[in-house]
Amino acid sequence: MIEAQDVSVSIGGKRIVANIDFATRPGELAAIVGPNGSGKTTFLKALSGELGYGGRIAINGRDLAAMKPAEAASARAVLPQATSLSFPFTVHEIVRLGLVGGRSGVLPGEDARLPERALARVDLEGFAGRFYQELSGGEQQRVQLARVLCQVWAPVLDGKPRYLFLDEPVSSLDIKHQLIIMNIARDFAARGGGVIAILHDLNLAAMYADRIFVMHRGRLAATGSPREVLEDGLIEKVFGCRLRVGVLPSGDVPFVLPQSAS
Amino acid sequence: MVQQSIAGLHGRPTGAAEGDRSARARVVILLLCAGLVLAVLLSLTSGASDASAVTVIRDWLTGASPGDEALSARDRLIIYDIRMPRVMMGMLVGAALAVSGAVMQGLFRNPLADPGLIGVSAGSSLGAVAVIVLGATVLAPVTTALGSLALPLAAFFGGLATTLLLYQVATRRGRTSVATMLLAGIALAALAMALTGILIFMADDRQLRDLTFWSLGSLGGATWQKIGSVGPVILLALAAMPFLARGLNALALGEATAGHLGIPVQRLKYTAIVGVSAAVGASVAVSGGIGFVGIVVPHLLRLLIGPDNRYLLPASALLGAGLLLLADAVARTIVAPAELPIGIITAVAGAPFFLWILLRKRGVIDL
Repeated sequence: MIEAQDVSVSIGGKRIVANIDFATRPGELAAIVGPNGSGKTTFLKALSGELGYGGRIAINGRDLAAMKPAEAASARAVLPQATSLSFPFTVHEIVRLGLVGGRSGVLPGEDARLPERALARVDLEGFAGRFYQELSGGEQQRVQLARVLCQVWAPVLDGKPRYLFLDEPVSSLDIKHQLIIMNIARDFAARGGGVIAILHDLNLAAMYADRIFVMHRGRLAATGSPREVLEDGLIEKVFGCRLRVGVLPSGDVPFVLPQSAS
Repeated sequence: MVQQSIAGLHGRPTGAAEGDRSARARVVILLLCAGLVLAVLLSLTSGASDASAVTVIRDWLTGASPGDEALSARDRLIIYDIRMPRVMMGMLVGAALAVSGAVMQGLFRNPLADPGLIGVSAGSSLGAVAVIVLGATVLAPVTTALGSLALPLAAFFGGLATTLLLYQVATRRGRTSVATMLLAGIALAALAMALTGILIFMADDRQLRDLTFWSLGSLGGATWQKIGSVGPVILLALAAMPFLARGLNALALGEATAGHLGIPVQRLKYTAIVGVSAAVGASVAVSGGIGFVGIVVPHLLRLLIGPDNRYLLPASALLGAGLLLLADAVARTIVAPAELPIGIITAVAGAPFFLWILLRKRGVIDL
């Protein structure tokens, strides 16, 4: 269980996130959606302990402010929007960094093979020996996800659920890999972990999320199941453009939805 | 030839576990150990006395008992009281400078960072110059009380004071901004050099000569007593640094991500800063300005074994120690019986090498 009560974040005197109440259960994939600059990333950074905040955040009942870095690292892994790298590490060496806390949750001795398995999961088999800096943006994003998966490989450890915080995990991926990554996230939740993902694609959010949190100007504008949240009025209010939910394009304009994947 | 072989290897991962350069790193570290032993032998046996490596080793093995082929008393004096402390000092200083460079580069996430860059060396120099110039007048009570320890201690505290000041400037609400720290380091280095300049302006002719030779760098003044005073500081700092390796690896992904991975980032940075200033301050105190070891050694090793600090730090210590011994051997023999300051050797060899790295990596390193 991740709970946030009345969480506010100010950066440089400007209030970016205001009075958010938020809760998500293990087994659930929670999507945070909202326009650019609505405070999604800032809120996720507060949840991950990266930014100071007002209010209270608890992970599995433990106050986040009282958690040491190692304890927090064993409870959740964080995929940032972008990661720059200062030295020429290989893909294997990057993914292995996910094991630095030693709480992946596999049997002792299986750790060494974990980077390979994680890379296979994100469809990067055979990439272990490549230099990270020579990969494309989408490949780099999947390498980082493999590293994050290594950190909390077992969705439940010592009876406690663990969480993935994903900031736009599919932003630079092609449609095939968007589906692969979202399936990994859903599978992680299905096996008892929890996922909080910032998404821009409302169709993906509707397809995968159990619950959608809509942020608007630093506040929570709506919370609920995709069916409850995604309706014309809210979308127009939050995103500032008139869209209609569930309306097919007229004429013979082709359209491809992730939902049609089989 | 060296360049070709380096370019050929280029750190390309090979071997069974793909992308895992640990095995190669271990081999390189073993080779470096062997190389260091050779460098020590070369250092002990090169110079004005012509005692050969064989006689020295035999003398070691048979102890001090005088045999027909054993060392003469003069040779023994040269080797045990002059060359051996010098070799020890060379290894300590070389290892300290190279490891400090590697740690700074990891800390600043910048392959061009160096203790010289953030003002640690400049602060140490200021301390040392203050003792040389003011030791007989304003600071006389201090220098007479401390004797020959005054210079190393002043350099050590100069480096530490600079680093702590730097840390204060660059840290806001418990977070250190690396960009601010680099820029503040440049400012503090300029300030320390200006103050050093004032002191040099005040110095008399004899002091000027001392200063010049000290600032060019030399291992010539090495004695067992000096090793006793700075050796423990350097060894302590070196011993702490392997504990930083994993944290520094994670830091390559950025401070936030390192924190997410469970690294106590603030403590890591603080330990690294104190360790580096101690090691660098102690090195500057006994050997003056020896440049480029901290940049060239880690760079060369990253090409060979990759940037994993668990291997990079020990390998840097070994290669730094070995290279400084070789540089010192050159310094002692190239203009014998006189001696060239070792800082000139490391700069003449290091600066072009550094430029070559920059040319090769043009477009890859982004500052």
